[in-house]
Amino acid sequence: MTSTLTSPGRSTEPKPRAFAAGGSFLPRPRFDQVTVSSILIILTTLAIISYNNLGISLSGMVQSWPNALNFFRRAVPLDFPPAGEILWQTGVTLGIVICGTLLAAVLSLPIAYIAASNTSPHESLRWVGRALGVIARSMPDAILAMIFAMILSGGALPGILALGIHSIGMISKLFADSIEQIDEGPRLAIRAAGGTKSQEFWGAIFPQILPSVVSIVLLRNDINIRVSVILGFVGVYGLGYQISFAMQTLDYRRAMALAVVMFVLCLVMEIISSAIRTNLLGIQPTGRGIGDRLQRVLSRRQVPAVTTPPLTEAQRAEERAIALAIALASPDPTTAKPSRRRPWTRARVQATAFAWGAVIVVIAAISVSATQLSPVVDFWGNLTIQMNRMFPPGFSETGAQKIIPALVETVQIALAATLISVVVSLVLGSFAARNVAPHPAVRGISRFILVAIRGIPELLLALVLIVITGLGPIAATLALGLAGIGVLGKLMGDSIEEGNPGPERALKATGATRTQIFAGATLPQSAPAFVSSIFYMLDSNIRAATILGIVGGGGVGFMLTQSTTINQQQMLAILLSILVVVLIVESLAMTVRKLMR
Amino acid sequence: MQQHSTVHQDSDQHTVVQITDLHKNYGTTHALRGVDLAINRGEIVVLLGLSGSGKSTLLRHLDGLDLPTSGQVQVLGQDVSTLRGKQMRKLRQRVGFIFQQFELVAPLTVLENVLTGSLATLRGPRLGLATYPRALRERAWELLEEVGLGDKAFERADQLSGGQQQRVAIARALMQDPEILLADEPVASLDPESSNQVMNLIREIGMRRQLTVVCSLHQVDLALSWADRIVGLRHGETVLDTQTEGLSKQNVMEIYGSVTTNTSDLTAVTRELSEELAELTLSGTETSR
Repeated sequence: MTSTLTSPGRSTEPKPRAFAAGGSFLPRPRFDQVTVSSILIILTTLAIISYNNLGISLSGMVQSWPNALNFFRRAVPLDFPPAGEILWQTGVTLGIVICGTLLAAVLSLPIAYIAASNTSPHESLRWVGRALGVIARSMPDAILAMIFAMILSGGALPGILALGIHSIGMISKLFADSIEQIDEGPRLAIRAAGGTKSQEFWGAIFPQILPSVVSIVLLRNDINIRVSVILGFVGVYGLGYQISFAMQTLDYRRAMALAVVMFVLCLVMEIISSAIRTNLLGIQPTGRGIGDRLQRVLSRRQVPAVTTPPLTEAQRAEERAIALAIALASPDPTTAKPSRRRPWTRARVQATAFAWGAVIVVIAAISVSATQLSPVVDFWGNLTIQMNRMFPPGFSETGAQKIIPALVETVQIALAATLISVVVSLVLGSFAARNVAPHPAVRGISRFILVAIRGIPELLLALVLIVITGLGPIAATLALGLAGIGVLGKLMGDSIEEGNPGPERALKATGATRTQIFAGATLPQSAPAFVSSIFYMLDSNIRAATILGIVGGGGVGFMLTQSTTINQQQMLAILLSILVVVLIVESLAMTVRKLMR
Repeated sequence: MQQHSTVHQDSDQHTVVQITDLHKNYGTTHALRGVDLAINRGEIVVLLGLSGSGKSTLLRHLDGLDLPTSGQVQVLGQDVSTLRGKQMRKLRQRVGFIFQQFELVAPLTVLENVLTGSLATLRGPRLGLATYPRALRERAWELLEEVGLGDKAFERADQLSGGQQQRVAIARALMQDPEILLADEPVASLDPESSNQVMNLIREIGMRRQLTVVCSLHQVDLALSWADRIVGLRHGETVLDTQTEGLSKQNVMEIYGSVTTNTSDLTAVTRELSEELAELTLSGTETSR
């Protein structure tokens, strides 16, 4: 993956340097450059080996073409369940997801408080806060759901707890970041007025971070809706559960129909959260997803209406009139001082409507989830029984002989998938950049492909591929590889566009060709950002590869599902090994990101 | 300088601030190098000096926002460096602080910003106007009207102009019902007209409520026309302490740099004269350098 990344840069770069030095004197490479390069080279080699080992080949794909045709023949016409059933299952999915996200948000606030450098009461607590976040992030939500499902026997609660715990990782990190970015002044002002620490937080910090809190929670909620499909496969109710059931009974017409419902749900929720972010929080849509795109198109249309002075004047007059009317109509004794009532400005109406809307949604989510609670007779009793079954973890010799190859397969899936994403997105991502694409149409087409890919939840992709290529690692690799192109290609395109255009112009002025400019100026500038995106990808692919195993994508995840019912001591051993691998990759990613900075 | 700083020693008025040999180091930087200062109830004092002279640091010590490296700071009869937790907050409540950058909570309404001044009298955190007692809301309204911003109560704080924001900050400080009002370069970020408004307002309010006002400034003209007493700071030491009555700009400049120029901004003057300053009038107090 990186050989293509670095080799053009290397082949052109030494030439001018050697020329300038008048000989073969090359600068001594720095230690961190050497480290990063060797890590990249080793990973690239491993990825290529994995790719070959997994037996992914073009001829194999061509051979499975009849399978695909066969599948589509069995999937159409789609068989939608009755509308009431669809609505109810959608409601259950949303209820569980919203409760989970909310739980994570509530738990994340104190964790972020102690993890942020400016609010942390003590350096050691800061470390604790960050560690909690990293641990939460490294625990795959599907596996958490699996464990909770064993203790609580299905229903809504395992899903809520799993989403709630795993999401803490991302939410607390982003909360802490936004706490660190606040203006410290107002906080000092409250301290100077004799306020306590909690008054400082709620009086000065929280109002400042509130917009980003809402935005972060909405973002995570969108992600969790996609994740909820997989939770269905481990027994959490909702659309995912229905899809899982249909797949297991080989009812592809129903399964694909539900997949379409899920796809539409993802889309609608993304549009809603984007609308809230733009209208309520005043955050300009930056164009991650389809929702943001739509918002931008809409706001572009609104622009003349908003900026025309006569209209805003009229609006203001209208607001004043409304305020006056309310003041006059009110029988309250305070009407003696009508100006002391807070006027219902557009912003206030919006904020109030949003607040009440949020309250209603949350109450609805909780009550829907509450109907799906499995009768938990004795949580702690179940917990002890399960614990006894799981302990001690089965690291027996035969167990290890099985676990290690499976684990290796999962890592191979992740590596090979990342390799596919990197190679394709290097091309597609570059063409998606304004300053590289030879023609605007090329950029437009590339961007469109990337958006389309990102629109498909990777799990649905994997499900389809599993049916086509059969159970096993190939489906998982292709699904992750394809989904990765959408993310990585976009990041690549963005980082190229954000680069300083100066060096490109300078090379152009020397008479360099397009490819020389790309290799000599564009790529070296965006390489650090791209490499750190690659590690982000690898990191999340390891977790995703495990999860896809649960639905039949091979690797350790597949083994995990088998051992949940048969050998639970082995299951715990597998879980612990997964955690170790995830943590190793995560620390590797962190090291490289630090060195690249 | 001794002849200046002794002026108030024999005064029999009640002393509200008593600073003795105050030193403050930030790492290797010496922000304050042995400051002695006594301020009486009801005095309107300007701390005059350049940026880096230590006047902000000194002000922050008066509200317990900074603690001395050595020396003693007594405010309203209490040794600030011994106060902790609730006692410290109680003292801070009695001392209002106005910041150069206003430091309002941008997304909150003006009225709620004023109300945050009353937090020390309340238990627990507050978020939203309705969480404050009605009596306090009424009072915040009155204070807003007093600073001339009754009509802006429900606007977001960051929608106001700089001068208006500073007036909100003044109302917030008054919400504490303070005995001492501290102001750290309150008009340094404002245009001349707003500056006048704000400085007049601070003085008016100080006189009306018989507050002790300590304000740091770097403009000599403004200090002379505004304060009753000027305390000059340079490199963390007091170099001047005098009543303004009968004092001319010439006098102040002589003390600072022996020559006046036609600018009122001390920054410009002293930058030119910084070499001479080291030797000229301050030889007595400069031994530490």
